[in-house]
Amino acid sequence: MRPLTGLLTGVAITVLALPAFARDVTIDLTGEPSSLDPHMQWNPDSYYVYRNIFDNVVTRDNDGAIVPQIATEWNYASETELVLTIRDGVTFHDGEPLTAEDVAFSVNRIIDPEFGSPQLGQFNQIEMAEVMEGNKVKLTTKGPYPALLAQLVKLSVVPQHIVEEVGKDAFNEAPVGSGPYSFEDWNRGVSVTLAKNDSYWGEDGPFDNAVFRAVPDAATRIANLQAGTADLVVGLDSDGAMQLAGNPAVKALSTPTERVAFMGMNLDKPPFSDPELRRAASLAIDSVAIAEGLLGAGEVPMAQLSSPAHFGYAPDIAPFEYDPEQAAEIVASKSEMAATPATFATAPVFDQRVVQALQQMLNDVGFNISISMTDMPTYLAAARAPDRAERPELNFGRWSCACQDADGIAYPLLHSGSSWSRVSNAELDALLEEARTSLDENVRLAAYEKVHQIVRDDYLVRPIYQAAVLYGARAELEFEPTANESMFLNRMSWSE
Amino acid sequence: MSAAVSLRARSARALSWWPAWLLGLLVLAAIFAPWLAPMDPDRQNLLARLKDPGFETRGATYWLGSDELGRDVLSRVIHGARVSISVAVLSVLLSGAVGVAVGMLAGYLRGWVETVLMRLVDIFLSIPAILLAIITVAVLGPGFVNVILVLALTRWPRYARVAYGQTLAIADRPFVRLSRAMGAGTPRVLWQHILPNIAGPLLVVATLEFGLMVLFEAGLSFLGLGVQPPMASWGAMLSVGRNYIATAWWIATFPGLALFLLVLSANMLGDRMGDVIGKGR
Amino acid sequence: MLRFLLQRGGQALVAVFGVVTLVFFIQRLTGDPVLLLVPETATEQDIEAMRVSLGLDRPLGVQYVEFLFDMLRLDLGRSFVQNAQVWDILLSRIPQTLQLAAGALVVALLIGLPLGLIMALTRGRAISRAIMGLVLAFQSLPTFWSGIMMILVFGVWLKWLPPSGTGTLAHLVMPSIALGLLSLATYARIMRSAVIDELGKDYVRSARARGVTTGRLVRRHLLRNSSIPVISITALELSQLLAGAVIVETVFAWPGLGLLTVQSIASRDFMVVQAVVLLGAFVTIAANLAADILYTVVDPRVRLTGKA
Repeated sequence: MRPLTGLLTGVAITVLALPAFARDVTIDLTGEPSSLDPHMQWNPDSYYVYRNIFDNVVTRDNDGAIVPQIATEWNYASETELVLTIRDGVTFHDGEPLTAEDVAFSVNRIIDPEFGSPQLGQFNQIEMAEVMEGNKVKLTTKGPYPALLAQLVKLSVVPQHIVEEVGKDAFNEAPVGSGPYSFEDWNRGVSVTLAKNDSYWGEDGPFDNAVFRAVPDAATRIANLQAGTADLVVGLDSDGAMQLAGNPAVKALSTPTERVAFMGMNLDKPPFSDPELRRAASLAIDSVAIAEGLLGAGEVPMAQLSSPAHFGYAPDIAPFEYDPEQAAEIVASKSEMAATPATFATAPVFDQRVVQALQQMLNDVGFNISISMTDMPTYLAAARAPDRAERPELNFGRWSCACQDADGIAYPLLHSGSSWSRVSNAELDALLEEARTSLDENVRLAAYEKVHQIVRDDYLVRPIYQAAVLYGARAELEFEPTANESMFLNRMSWSE
Repeated sequence: MSAAVSLRARSARALSWWPAWLLGLLVLAAIFAPWLAPMDPDRQNLLARLKDPGFETRGATYWLGSDELGRDVLSRVIHGARVSISVAVLSVLLSGAVGVAVGMLAGYLRGWVETVLMRLVDIFLSIPAILLAIITVAVLGPGFVNVILVLALTRWPRYARVAYGQTLAIADRPFVRLSRAMGAGTPRVLWQHILPNIAGPLLVVATLEFGLMVLFEAGLSFLGLGVQPPMASWGAMLSVGRNYIATAWWIATFPGLALFLLVLSANMLGDRMGDVIGKGR
Repeated sequence: MLRFLLQRGGQALVAVFGVVTLVFFIQRLTGDPVLLLVPETATEQDIEAMRVSLGLDRPLGVQYVEFLFDMLRLDLGRSFVQNAQVWDILLSRIPQTLQLAAGALVVALLIGLPLGLIMALTRGRAISRAIMGLVLAFQSLPTFWSGIMMILVFGVWLKWLPPSGTGTLAHLVMPSIALGLLSLATYARIMRSAVIDELGKDYVRSARARGVTTGRLVRRHLLRNSSIPVISITALELSQLLAGAVIVETVFAWPGLGLLTVQSIASRDFMVVQAVVLLGAFVTIAANLAADILYTVVDPRVRLTGKA
């Protein structure tokens, strides 16, 4: 029955040449959004949804370049002042126009410590936002802040009149934005439905409705895609994507992201307090085998804490050598210290294949590593323990700052003042601060190159690969994954 | 003639206890795992990932195929028997010992002891098992021993309730009263008179719980709270392997089959014992 | 009886109080929700600011006293993670959980009881053993495996049922079966032994001697007389089903309380965990109380006492 109806619909379309075949789309996420208020939580399950309801100050195109969205132009008035020109003719879903006041309100809302936004850390370099003549907004930063525009990619504009009228809770439950899709319904624990905004100022979305569902089990998401009850699913790994290979109705989509996978080492206690043993650990790790043999979804071996998707990537940093024999020799020469039992802390969200492969590679050359897998809060509490000596010897991370700037990963991991850092190196601190506060791109690039080289030479952290993101989709869904893991409905289409 | 009949009857009876034989066989496999397994169960080979059963490389044959890290599934199934069976046995012993002691004391002593102990049972029954599991892992760290602790912590109230009910039912019987009148102390009465009389139903519960514990260990693995990788347990293999059912069916199927047979034989055995004890009464 | 109920009810309240107190402190000692709320690159100052805004920077004792007063006013608080009132979250989940528990119970009763009856009536014959084998086999499958197998067969391959989600009766079928299979064996066993007990009683023998057919016997006497143990076990099974559906809910993306519990614990969403535990404690303790009362009905040898 169903193929017949489909056929008839197809015939009707070709015969009548209807303008567009606006099929609905169903997208399976791993969980439901924590929040639809874009100034609250900032996790993929939330922003996949709310970024379609709201417009951001600026955005990145599919190639990663920063392009206008609500701000049509931006100029530095001084080292600490950025003036944004606001787009005319944008209206919120309730019909009210989007103004410079709304933009300034949105910025001031998210940087207000009282508001308690989990994203505060991404915007707290902004001191204030003021409305200026001629539909402009001036942002003042605490100091020169080169990553400002990269952060504004994530700053959504909310309507001041509604937020002030209904308050935080009610706005979260029924958000109103200016984006290509408007909020329709939130079936708690199950799904969020969005409807197409017909009066959108920019590129229209191709679907009348979009349903985002929460499906925690990856095997079930794949089954939904195969059965045709989902059109796009997230959170696959390469082995899961393999299941899609035999079915012509579905496909896997992937791209390298700005996420960098690394192995953190505790420099404050043996065995990795010894630089020679850190070198041995690095020599024991076969980054290529992990990135290409084990993962194989487009991951790229990396020898620095950034990727080609970042500003501050240094193409001249040499790849890590893989030489297990030499590693074994070093370990043998320091056998007593190398045999110190060491814990590799991890949590279920990380790819256990990678952690287990790393463990075996290290133990093969003579280390004594055991895996300790706990739930995420326990893992975080251990990895960020105030006393560095209490932290695990090893941990695995896949970090993204969603700003595509080397500062986002390097600063928190390497600066001695950061709570994640296990490094105390005055030269690194100076370089990181210089790069963070200079508006001169060449100065910044030079500083980051030096940072990457120091990390590489002293084996302070062991970068492993640039992570890829994998989606499963209906064969006829056109969707181009991006390095910042965005999912804009109005950049998708049906290929029929 | 009659000798032949009785022999056949006897062998038929022995056969009807096949769950016990099967269980014994699995236990033997667990004990002799290092000698039975053809390869090191934790040995990875990233070049031989997800290979079919019978795959050969460098003189080694993966009789049941290889898993997502190129480890030998057969060796992991054999070694997994150790983990799955010892987790189940130890958690049953631990939870049984605690639960039975609590239940008997409450049922025999009555009074405030009964109130306190049985409300404690209620408290433990009403905390979600998963919460206890996560808390135990958070406080004590993950691992083999703590999986047993988690299971014991969540299951002892079941034994306590059964032991309590059974003790209530026989505590007033004449032989118990007589023994008490003759000056036997509480431990002696419990140990010599009550326990033997309530052991039957408890043994049945324990056998059924054994099967459940094997399944629970698997469930904990599914939720990421099981034994630590790379240690092989059937539950861990199954929970990873289920993601590969369409592409590498062997990863989940063989440990699944082993686990099924273990739980089934334990359940069958519990059922048979229940019948025998029921008939005896 | 009233005295008994009052005493047990009072003790139950103490038990519930004990549970929530335990949970209140243990979860706060084992992890910090703020670390999960902020991006991993957040600084110590950002984290501290967040802690202050959630009120988690205050001494534990102060938070505990406030929590007790909130409980007295039935104010369950606000979820850190879901940014919503905990009451609203619970109210959206309870119907889903009840549906699933009811579905599982229907599966277990509809299949388990007749199988138990047949086993009792065919006792000692091969068919009885075969049925028992089947029932035990159902109970021996890990849910997360049988669940995904059902999804692949009925959802993906045959396309008879939607692989996951909620909304229609068709969505309820597979999760109910996956969950119900676990309790099915319990019911089959209870039913079998209850009917066998009844069959041995004098009234059955005399009825048989009078030529009453098995069918009539079953309808008129056996079913009713074996129903007490079934009801008594249902109280316990129900509380198990309500709490123990975590894996089924995860596999079938069923938005029940089990999934909520796991996800809330995993993110240390204190307010939600407390509320779920409170609810669970009430249900379990009520079910146990009911089972105890029914127990005395079944076996008059047991005296009801609140206190010696």
